[in-house]
Amino acid sequence: MSVAKKQRKLRKIFGGAMELRPEKGRMHLVGEAKSWDDAVQAGLICAKKGSDIHVVSDVTVKGLEIPPMRVPELRDNALEGLRPDVMIIGAGVTGCAIARELSRLKLNVLLTDKEYDVATHASSRNDGMVHPGIDILPGLLKKKLNTRGNRMYTRLCRELNVPFDRCGQYLCFRQKSVLPLLYLTKPYWLLSGAGSTEVLTKKALKKRETDVSDEAACALYFKSAGSVCPYGLTVALAENAVENGVRLSLDTAVLNMAVEKGEIRSVNTNRGTVYPGLVINAAGVFAEDVAKMAQDRFFSIHPRRGTNAILDKKARRHIVSIYSLMGTQSKSAHTKGGGVVGTVDGNVLVGPDAVETPEKENFATDAESILKTFEKQRHAAPWLTQGDIITYFTGIRAATYEEDFIVEKGRAVRNIIHAAGIQSPGLTAAPAVGEMVAGMVRDYFPKAEKNPSFDPNRKPIVRMAELSFEERAKYIEQNPDYGEIVCRCEEISRGEIIDALRRPVPCSTVDGVKRRCRPGMGRCQGGFCSPLVVKIISETLGIPESEVRKGSEGSRLLMGEKGAHK
Amino acid sequence: MKNYDVTVIGGGPGGLAAAISADNAGASTLLIEREARLGGVLKQCIHDGFGVIRFGEKLSGCEYATRLIRELETTGAELMLSTFVSKAEKQRDGYLLTLTSRGGMERVFTKALVLATGCRERTAKQVAIHGTRPAGVFTAGTAQAFLNVRGQMPGKRCVILGSGDIGLIMARRLTLEGARVLGVYEAKPDPSGLMRNISQCLWDFDIPLHLSKTVTTVHGDERVEAVTVAEVDEKMRPIAGTEEYIPCDTLILSVGLIPENELAESLGVPLDKKTKGPFCDQSYMTLVDGVFSCGNTLHVSDLADYVSESGDAAGRRAASYARRERSLLPVNISRDFSYVVPQYLDPEADLSETVFFFRTAAERKKTKLRILLDGVEIKQKQYNGLRPPEMERIPFDLSGAGLTKDSKLELLMEEVRS
Repeated sequence: MSVAKKQRKLRKIFGGAMELRPEKGRMHLVGEAKSWDDAVQAGLICAKKGSDIHVVSDVTVKGLEIPPMRVPELRDNALEGLRPDVMIIGAGVTGCAIARELSRLKLNVLLTDKEYDVATHASSRNDGMVHPGIDILPGLLKKKLNTRGNRMYTRLCRELNVPFDRCGQYLCFRQKSVLPLLYLTKPYWLLSGAGSTEVLTKKALKKRETDVSDEAACALYFKSAGSVCPYGLTVALAENAVENGVRLSLDTAVLNMAVEKGEIRSVNTNRGTVYPGLVINAAGVFAEDVAKMAQDRFFSIHPRRGTNAILDKKARRHIVSIYSLMGTQSKSAHTKGGGVVGTVDGNVLVGPDAVETPEKENFATDAESILKTFEKQRHAAPWLTQGDIITYFTGIRAATYEEDFIVEKGRAVRNIIHAAGIQSPGLTAAPAVGEMVAGMVRDYFPKAEKNPSFDPNRKPIVRMAELSFEERAKYIEQNPDYGEIVCRCEEISRGEIIDALRRPVPCSTVDGVKRRCRPGMGRCQGGFCSPLVVKIISETLGIPESEVRKGSEGSRLLMGEKGAHK
Repeated sequence: MKNYDVTVIGGGPGGLAAAISADNAGASTLLIEREARLGGVLKQCIHDGFGVIRFGEKLSGCEYATRLIRELETTGAELMLSTFVSKAEKQRDGYLLTLTSRGGMERVFTKALVLATGCRERTAKQVAIHGTRPAGVFTAGTAQAFLNVRGQMPGKRCVILGSGDIGLIMARRLTLEGARVLGVYEAKPDPSGLMRNISQCLWDFDIPLHLSKTVTTVHGDERVEAVTVAEVDEKMRPIAGTEEYIPCDTLILSVGLIPENELAESLGVPLDKKTKGPFCDQSYMTLVDGVFSCGNTLHVSDLADYVSESGDAAGRRAASYARRERSLLPVNISRDFSYVVPQYLDPEADLSETVFFFRTAAERKKTKLRILLDGVEIKQKQYNGLRPPEMERIPFDLSGAGLTKDSKLELLMEEVRS
């Protein structure tokens, strides 16, 4: 569509409310929309999928105030005057994958995140699928990175000691008549990078996935699909990066930058001013904000919410791998349609949906999302019941209007690399994004030597419940804490919880411990173990129980000793 | 490997009673408790009202537990504390348990097993509460553990959802400790807890009870800042337009208990969808031979005294357990019942001390309960009123009734017109 045509379309749909201005290197969208949905729709109309000329939207919505980025209250000088070679903004799976790749080189790398832990936004709020990349248009960057990332997973997870199940994925169809056509698509999948496939009749499908819906008449099985614990992987990447020399600074928000003559001179944070040689923007939903601070804003992010439900482990018997039924996909084109995923931890995940939102950090769930998701997925999995739900969560995708990833050097600024617009399948692509960015970083530091002490392998927190009787006995003999079960649902010992508090990327919160070794992840959701976990954190870190937090700095669980406040 | 006649899993009011009675009946008995101290949830119940039936006096939960613990100490039952049953496997003549403790890994063999694992609390997400996930959302039992065991205040301005007994007790407890309880909300049109608790925990402290209202949404990114409550229709769905925003720092949930039967399920024990506990016969033996269940594992009771009573029976019968073919007779119930325990009778086993526990499905006025054997009434009992939150108990000597495996046993309710 030509610019003039797009402008006409905008006028036709929205009157003169919004206007598209082609500017050098970007499509600038301005005006005032009636609603956020209008603003997003306008952006999508103006964008060309996969184009490197991006829509930059300054559209406002009448009466809508978009909340500013949440910034920790902490103010100190921990980072004041640091001069790292590379500063990575954002410790999600992308930032952590980049950090780990860079730790292969002898570079001084600072990885920052404004939150209290790594993987608190989209990286812990997704379904953990390692995608074959079925529905991504060839030619898009995210297609290339998804294919490459998918192939890297087996080795990466082996090195990092992260559970990964290349369980494959069934795309089921209602019409038996498509069966012969499925055979014809096999070479396409092979060529396009989705990899090797199998065509299954209903009978063959039922043999492998006994409880899949009778609506499924045949299926295409993608062998390369897999399932991983997304926050487990992110924590592991961060730990390995730190073990290999990366400095991680949490509770660190970038507030502004000093840019002169197309170069970032300094980055001002709540923990001091940093003078990095190169900045990497891996800020997820805030990537546009970071680009703006760097005076290199050439794209816009429109956040898109997705909600998943987690089911009790009892439901896991109904599913071996991952499946979804075609034709029950949501009308929005911007989700893979979700599905039902058997997770590596033995639960079942259902979702996600896709809803546009102006709020980048509103993780609230609503009843409607769950209802709709269940309605839809029940076509594929009739055994789904809301009674099996143990919890649900919302994540927010960092989509650009072009719906493609941006992994490139700054356009107006010399010393920045953007890894932006990384939405689904960002988890799958993360290792490849890390590799690609590391390649670009080498251009800035051509003389950087290999890090001679780089060790790709990471020792995990050993999960006692998964060991044999004899192995477990040996651990307990060395440390009796491994024999004291704290979380009865997930069978987690005191020793594992103390380990989680003392990792290369330490944590001090109940949620941090939960992400690292799972107490509270089970069906009682911490009802029994949370007082014990709080006590262990308090004893191990030497802080009063009333100071122990759930997560971020304002999330203390308790309000002091009884009697003290009267 | 150590070998026992009876192993009891869980050292609360049910398990303690079961271990005592099994040992008294002459069985070599082992009691396994995963916590460092015996007593189960009674440890955190510092309020009174326990033991009226069993000990003829009003005790606190801790005192009640102490009585049972003292009694256990006079028996020869072996005790393993801080010990977790990681695995239970059925073998030819009994069960093999894999135990984990600070002392290491261990396997024990037992002829009979008594499951006294209690229950867990239903959580916010299981009653479809939405919104954010800040600190300050607790189940009532967790809040009770923080306050009564750890001595820590879980909140200062609290909203309580659910009028279950623990919620009511916590409303009073928090008030006594200086917190403000803004109200107790109950989605049902009637309170779920015992009347005495409504009166002693809410009315006496001027805490409002809001019926047919529920919490729909939690607000606050880090700590709870408010909740939205709304009226619900008869299907318990929130009614649009009735929402009310209530600033608070804590939401406490008392929205039901779920018997913990994961171990039972791993042994293939079939569960009753209604009670969420195992189906059992009058000996509290489940449908898997040699596996007994008692207390809140079997069905959620209102009183610890009833929990211990079923523990007594389960322990005693487990002690005399000997493998044989059972042909069980189903206990048929009319729709007037929410459930009846036991769900089966074993005509070959001792029927002299049969006890039926039941809950009515709906609130009723004067009601006659009838037990029919092959269409003939063999027992009846009159009630002035029945409420779903109150569990009823009918002890009944069925030994002379002539039950066979082909008999038909029915429990019915009839309205009594005055």
